[in-house]
Amino acid sequence: MAGATAIEAAGLTKRYADVTAVDDLTFAVREGSVTGFLGPNGAGKTTTLRMVLGLARPTTGTATIEGRRYVELDDPARTVGANLEVAGAHPGRSGRNHLRALAAMAGLPRSRVDEVLRLVELDAAADRRAGKYSLGMRQRLGLAATLLGDPRVLVLDEPANGLDPQGIRWLRDFLRGMAAEGRTVLVSSHVLAEVAQTVDDVVVIHHGRLVQQGPVQALTSAGVLVRSPRANELRTALYNEGLTAAETPDGALVVEGADAARVGEVAFAAGVPLHELSPRATSLEEAFLALTSDPDPAAPAAEKAPPWAGWSPES
Amino acid sequence: MGRLVAGELIKVRTTRTALGFGAASLLLVVAGVTITILAGHPDTIDDKRSALNFGDAISLVVLLFGAVGATGEFRHRTLAPAVLIAPDRLRLLVARIGAYALTGAALAAVMALVTFAIGIPLLAGESGPDLAGGDYAKLVAGGLLVSALAVAIGVAFGTLVRNQVFAVIGVLVWITILEPLVGLIKDRLLDYTLGSALTGVAEGGSDRLSFGGAIVVLLAWTVVMLAAAAIVDGRRDVE
Repeated sequence: MAGATAIEAAGLTKRYADVTAVDDLTFAVREGSVTGFLGPNGAGKTTTLRMVLGLARPTTGTATIEGRRYVELDDPARTVGANLEVAGAHPGRSGRNHLRALAAMAGLPRSRVDEVLRLVELDAAADRRAGKYSLGMRQRLGLAATLLGDPRVLVLDEPANGLDPQGIRWLRDFLRGMAAEGRTVLVSSHVLAEVAQTVDDVVVIHHGRLVQQGPVQALTSAGVLVRSPRANELRTALYNEGLTAAETPDGALVVEGADAARVGEVAFAAGVPLHELSPRATSLEEAFLALTSDPDPAAPAAEKAPPWAGWSPES
Repeated sequence: MGRLVAGELIKVRTTRTALGFGAASLLLVVAGVTITILAGHPDTIDDKRSALNFGDAISLVVLLFGAVGATGEFRHRTLAPAVLIAPDRLRLLVARIGAYALTGAALAAVMALVTFAIGIPLLAGESGPDLAGGDYAKLVAGGLLVSALAVAIGVAFGTLVRNQVFAVIGVLVWITILEPLVGLIKDRLLDYTLGSALTGVAEGGSDRLSFGGAIVVLLAWTVVMLAAAAIVDGRRDVE
């Protein structure tokens, strides 16, 4: 059912003594989407995921998966696959035995262990002790454990950590493959270039608070660039339609809050000729930095305006 | 519950921890029975029973085994994957304790075989009355019970303490220093210490506690420790 909510957090708050790690956080993850959960180090990402997964109790608020709290799920292993630690395996136990123990606890057949080991391409090293694994191999082992129950929802915390370029490409294909099968993926990451190529939606938090949520295109949209020999007339026409435009150093205008078609229609109605009309996009990294560069927890960075914004005929 | 116990048993079997504690137990039992008989020449029923008391010999080792096993979950951060599969923390703790108790009982069974294989032929050459079938039965039952409950108490203690070094030191200080000090307060209190209960059950009863009384005291210790571990563990976030 496209568009349904797979994961929902409502007013999640987690306080440790005087420290508020997560502060009244509300967000939703669409079913069948890959959603990037972004934030600087210490923003509260892992704490939030741990609350979603029932590993930490919220001070206030609730988190649900498919409408139920994690502890209320009938069959957690077949509903949610989660990887919060790098493998979380005893260093003296082989990767295969680590998975065998988890499979037995979940009531899954031993053959499933071999399947997921092949899926994450770790079968050749499965009988080596996990303590001898590289960081990338431990990440794959963690992903294998995540997939044991063939779950509908995946929650992954920094899965790209320790992966080499080939591993990152493999992870990207893996996540897109999961989404193509209709699964929901919530993945936290600080490798923004990677996230930009992988996710449909983003949830950005800073100082434990939500600063942005929505499709990744909306986050990276930087308005519409429009160039006209009669720029002043165009600005007035746009203003009359409730749109604001800022002038770039080379005389073009950047219009916020409208797509190219809307700007073109306004220009056409005003009889203003256009020499250029193109949507602009910023990189996810730039957008992320703009959202999370504010050191003041009381002033969310999302409210920061770009330097060219705010023009009006009265200004 | 059976699935969880099966998973926990795989975890117990697939590291060297159990093997190490098993080897330590074997060493203690072989050395204990051999030295006691060859050097002590037991010639009374009590002395002969004491010579074959494998349960008392391994009780501290299995207590430490449980504590190390439980704290290993925290030390290596292996608890979260299990909790994600079994979010009911009480069920998971009970399953872990059950798996360790089964392992403790299995270890005790092996130690009983080793003890009797070495001790019975050696005792045959000693003077005095022979042990009766009931004596052997009490030693086996006491040894199995002590091993199963001691390891369970160790798991509960490790769950409470979490830090592996502190847990090992804590068990040693508890059994070898604090409990003997209790006797200075009132001698009668020594009957109810964990150490006395373990010894009493392993020996099939002692001059301080009957077999039945020792079992009751040991079960009380087990219930109290498990309840404390369950309450504390249930209130914690998983690291």
